[in-house]
Amino acid sequence: MSDTDARRILVPVGDSDSLRDTVSYVVDRASETASDRPVEIHFVLAARTQAVNPDAPTALGTAREQLERVALWVEEETAEATAVARDDRASDAAGESDADADGEAPAADSDDETGWLTVVTDVVGTDRYLFSPSDYADALLEYAAAADIDQIVVDPEYKPGGTASMLQPMSVELAGGDVPVETAPVDRPTEGAVLARAASLSKYLTVFGVSYLFYMSLSAWKPLDFFTGFVTASIVSLALAPVVANRSAPLGVTLRRLGRMLVYVPYLVKEIAVANLQVAYVVLHPDMPIDPEVVQLRAAVWGDGAVTTLANSITLTPGTLTVNVSERSFDIHSLTADSRSDLFDGGLERAVRFVFYGRAAARIPTPRERGDAGEGRDG
Amino acid sequence: MTPTEWGIVALAVAGAFFGGVAAVGLVRLPDVYTRSHAASKSDTLGAILAIAAAALALQTGLSTAKSVFLLVFMFITNPTAAHAVARAAQDQGIEPWTADEGDDK
Repeated sequence: MSDTDARRILVPVGDSDSLRDTVSYVVDRASETASDRPVEIHFVLAARTQAVNPDAPTALGTAREQLERVALWVEEETAEATAVARDDRASDAAGESDADADGEAPAADSDDETGWLTVVTDVVGTDRYLFSPSDYADALLEYAAAADIDQIVVDPEYKPGGTASMLQPMSVELAGGDVPVETAPVDRPTEGAVLARAASLSKYLTVFGVSYLFYMSLSAWKPLDFFTGFVTASIVSLALAPVVANRSAPLGVTLRRLGRMLVYVPYLVKEIAVANLQVAYVVLHPDMPIDPEVVQLRAAVWGDGAVTTLANSITLTPGTLTVNVSERSFDIHSLTADSRSDLFDGGLERAVRFVFYGRAAARIPTPRERGDAGEGRDG
Repeated sequence: MTPTEWGIVALAVAGAFFGGVAAVGLVRLPDVYTRSHAASKSDTLGAILAIAAAALALQTGLSTAKSVFLLVFMFITNPTAAHAVARAAQDQGIEPWTADEGDDK
């Protein structure tokens, strides 16, 4: 059994509350298969250091510390796991694999060595700027390809590059590679991003009241309407009160935003009308002069509300369709070159900034000028 | 005809026109992404114009208010649905059709 036959597992390391449990899980799993062939566990940390500042001493120092801690955890785990693995092998009739695994276990670049298990720690991503989860996934997958990794085990709480509720889990990003990905089945302190919160009684009553009023305002005020309205409002409040207005801005800010929204809507309607005429021309033209392309836009808007508004506005404006959003990076399918150029002129983006942050924020340069306009999907 | 009636006719005709554009686009465009452009947007505008015509024709306060609510909900739900379709397509790994690809085939 040679070194290259070792089963190699990649575990991404990052700030996470359940990382300790994941390490424990991986070592357990490794010890199960260790009787067949030695296992190499690669703990890899994607460091968020900017390429423009290669020194970045503090970030790298923290990364090393974190990896050392993980190696210590593995030592703790292997104290018992090794015993189990050795028992397994002792019961193996053929002593060959035993001798091989113990005798030729790879010693190179290993921090921790127990015969059947090799721990490799590494830091990746220091040569580039990691921003979105897919950047991290790319860096890790590159490492996996270079190190000939057989399997990736992801900590469910491993969320580099942000925790917005709209992001895909890391395991989905990593599944884009050739290596099988498994999410470690550990207890998670929080179940994903918090969309629903336990609502207070007054919130249930408020949602109930608003729903009831809305229902009645649309109804004919017959006795039956009072009853059906009551039932409807009950269902709505029970189902939606935990979701409604969990992170609402102060009332004054909300009112100002609503006011500016009144300016925005006519502008949006005008944009929709003009762009629809363009699309109608393209669709009805005998040659159908379309030139579709997926482009990326890093929009200068922040927060779920603003990002959602911009994404929906982009989709409503004909010729552009928001395909995917992560953080503030938009994948946009555009129908024609004109629609792309309109998009990068940033009219909509500026308008959304105006609605959410006021007049001053609207003066940020256009995506084209900022260099945030990307032709095609990089990655 | 009164100006209001002219307005209703104009809105209804425009709504029907964009509805037609959406249908033609759905048939003519090459792939799921481009088709959802037509299905989501020309359709939205067509429906909105038609509802606006209805709101103008109904004249009574309550029905008009209901029509306006319909407009608002169309504005919010239509792009969301289109986004869901496109994103599902991307997750399935469907490559967008491009002009040069089309020339090769």
